[in-house]
Amino acid sequence: MTTYIFRRLLTVIPTLLGVLLAVFLMVRLAPGDPAQLLAGEFATPETLADIRQRFGLDQPWYTQLGLYTLNVLQGDLGESVRTRKPVTYELSQYFPNTLRLTLGAMLVALLIGIPAGIIAAIRPGTIFDLLAMLGALIGVSMPVFWFGLMAILIFSVQLGWFPVAGTGTLRHLILPAITLGIGTAAILARMTRSAMLEVLSQDYIRTARAKGVAGRVVIFKHALRNALIPVVTITGLQFGGLLEGAVITETVFAWPGIGQLLVGSILARDYPVVQGAVLLIAVAFILINLIVDLLYGAIDPRIRYD
Amino acid sequence: MNMRIRFWLTLGLVLLLSWALAQTRTLIIAQGTDPTSLDAPLATDSPSGTVVSHVVETLFEYTPDGKIVPLLVERYSFSSDRKTLTLFLRKGIKFHDGTDFNAEAVKFNLERLISPELASSFAFLLRGRVSAFEVVDSHTLRLRMPEPFAPVLAHLSHGSTAIQSPAAIRRLGTGYRDNPVGTGPYKFDRWQKGQFVELVRNEEYWGKKPAIERLRFLAVPEATTRMALVETGQAHVAVRVPPQDVQRLSARPEIEVVNTPSVRTIFFYFNQAKKPFDDVRVRKAINHAINKEEIVKFVLGGFGRPSDAPISPGIFGYTKIGSYEYNPNLARQLLAQAGYNAQNPLRFTIHSPNGRYLQDIRVAEAVQSQLRAVGVQAQIQTLEWGAYLAASNQPRDRNEFQMAMLGWGTVTGDADYGLFGLFHSSQQAPNGFNRGFYANPRLDRILEQARVATNPQARQQLYRTAMQIIYNDAPWAFLHSEQQVTAIRREVQGFIVHPIERLIATQASFRTSSQR
Repeated sequence: MTTYIFRRLLTVIPTLLGVLLAVFLMVRLAPGDPAQLLAGEFATPETLADIRQRFGLDQPWYTQLGLYTLNVLQGDLGESVRTRKPVTYELSQYFPNTLRLTLGAMLVALLIGIPAGIIAAIRPGTIFDLLAMLGALIGVSMPVFWFGLMAILIFSVQLGWFPVAGTGTLRHLILPAITLGIGTAAILARMTRSAMLEVLSQDYIRTARAKGVAGRVVIFKHALRNALIPVVTITGLQFGGLLEGAVITETVFAWPGIGQLLVGSILARDYPVVQGAVLLIAVAFILINLIVDLLYGAIDPRIRYD
Repeated sequence: MNMRIRFWLTLGLVLLLSWALAQTRTLIIAQGTDPTSLDAPLATDSPSGTVVSHVVETLFEYTPDGKIVPLLVERYSFSSDRKTLTLFLRKGIKFHDGTDFNAEAVKFNLERLISPELASSFAFLLRGRVSAFEVVDSHTLRLRMPEPFAPVLAHLSHGSTAIQSPAAIRRLGTGYRDNPVGTGPYKFDRWQKGQFVELVRNEEYWGKKPAIERLRFLAVPEATTRMALVETGQAHVAVRVPPQDVQRLSARPEIEVVNTPSVRTIFFYFNQAKKPFDDVRVRKAINHAINKEEIVKFVLGGFGRPSDAPISPGIFGYTKIGSYEYNPNLARQLLAQAGYNAQNPLRFTIHSPNGRYLQDIRVAEAVQSQLRAVGVQAQIQTLEWGAYLAASNQPRDRNEFQMAMLGWGTVTGDADYGLFGLFHSSQQAPNGFNRGFYANPRLDRILEQARVATNPQARQQLYRTAMQIIYNDAPWAFLHSEQQVTAIRREVQGFIVHPIERLIATQASFRTSSQR
């Protein structure tokens, strides 16, 4: 087990270096000069030169890449061109909020998705199944942007139940978490339903039923545990997806997360922040995948790590 | 005690109390983005500038009605050759950290602005224009200029020249950007990154103390969300009301939708280095083919003003020059003279940003269809803003833009800022903002004279001539001045939207229920 984790962590290093290189090249291939954007329409050539020199943008790209990689290895992600603060500081200000929003959304997705999937699977073809799957269809098809604005207009402006935007209390979290989580809930519901249906048709379930095991026990102890494996995989992947999906939700609800920071930084060609934010998201993604793999062992005793 | 006296006393007390309570509330303002920096010379965008301008003050002030008046300066004088400006500073003012505001502090700030280490985008305001800052005594500073520079007072009203506490800048280093210390009516309190900045009233302010104790500037990128905040009372002010929301918001009794002019002018420039726009007849034809009134009315929903000069009203040097009348027949005739007709139609590409200016791409589309009516086949191309700026700033031989939309805010309130950088031949891209490679030696001379002229009337006259030349040469297709549409809850009074895209809350107060 320990060796497995250690081996997995070792593979993280080349992955991160690859991400670093890809992001570095991508942001530089995009047209538009950070100095120009920072100086705006007013830019004079001297000002542009000052800014380029100040941020090392006058160096050839390979020099920049080398310096950047060396600094990253020492834990220094550079300085934001726009705010002129260390990138690590910027990330530390925004990332916890994204984590909170993503966890909230995941909770929403699990609380809605899995029960809906189970109900649909144990009563296939009934009105419950139909409603759950219709709900799931609407959930995946609805644009996040539109859903968020509608939620604000109905629940904040009309009914006054929740604050419109911002963070601070649990009530601030509810609408954005539902907005972000609803799509994942729909996917989880469909996934749970089909996994459950498959397991429920297995011989051992029939055996258990034939032995006279209570229906509830069959469903939750025998079927659900086996059906959960693909669901856990999808949940892990979706978690990473939620980190990205937060970009739109954060904009609608003025939620100060990494998504908002990333969009603003891309528009301003704030190279160091874009690189830092993408690296951070990559790290989060890798860690989640590791956790998912480890969870398999906990759910399914047949899976072992040597 | 007499019942009546008691009644009035109680009522008076209640009113006084409710007034006092109203004033301790926090005024909440929803802007589009979080400030990037609260260090004045680095606060280049409007949201940053708005927050900073409550904390720090400039030597001169550009008032909302277009005057340049002394602020931190008590009085000033020019030498007879106009090459020396002596500033007599107000005495007895302290920065929020308790240190003295004096000539050394002013010198420190102005030298910091032009220093290459800071790399401020606004260094050009003084760099090369002022050669030395001399401290005469504790509250007198002398600015030496290599040649007279008439807009110097206007430039000293620009937000980036604000005077900040040198002690705080030295002590905090880069941390100063999150912790501004000035002489202004509000003190910086805290900044929740990405959420809000909160300011608190400066109880020791040297001038008239504001009525409202706390200000909070929210960062809300999505316009619909901003409007919802004002509608539910979770914010008192929201900027940039989308045209489609104006009617709905105005219908609510508790909200006032305020329409304020802006010093920002929107135009298409022509690339005169290349065919077809090296021909003045073509440029004039396009100007006659565009129906500006229609665009303002239908595309901007009335929130604009057709341009009648290259700069907006309210700026020093503005005079109404006139606008090319909408005349498709004349446009066709001019095009025919230039050799374009139905057999050989004029074709070119219009470049437009998408989302930078109010309804920008819609304006471009309207122009495209109006041009089609005179037989011109234009196609629209749009680029993301960063790429757009870079492409339009290419030197002459590599510049692919033919006719492109841009906007210019004359934020110093002086015509020099709005004309020299845009039309002087030395300012052709990439050296300045003359991106259409326009050149007219006579205009160059007049703009130079206006820079060094001593007499305001003479300057006014020079700018009038300059703008007349520009109008005749038609280096731009003139469009409109933008307007700022702001939603303000009626319980707030005295809130100012400045034409330089600043929000000012220093004179605002909450109405009590009886006043509403």
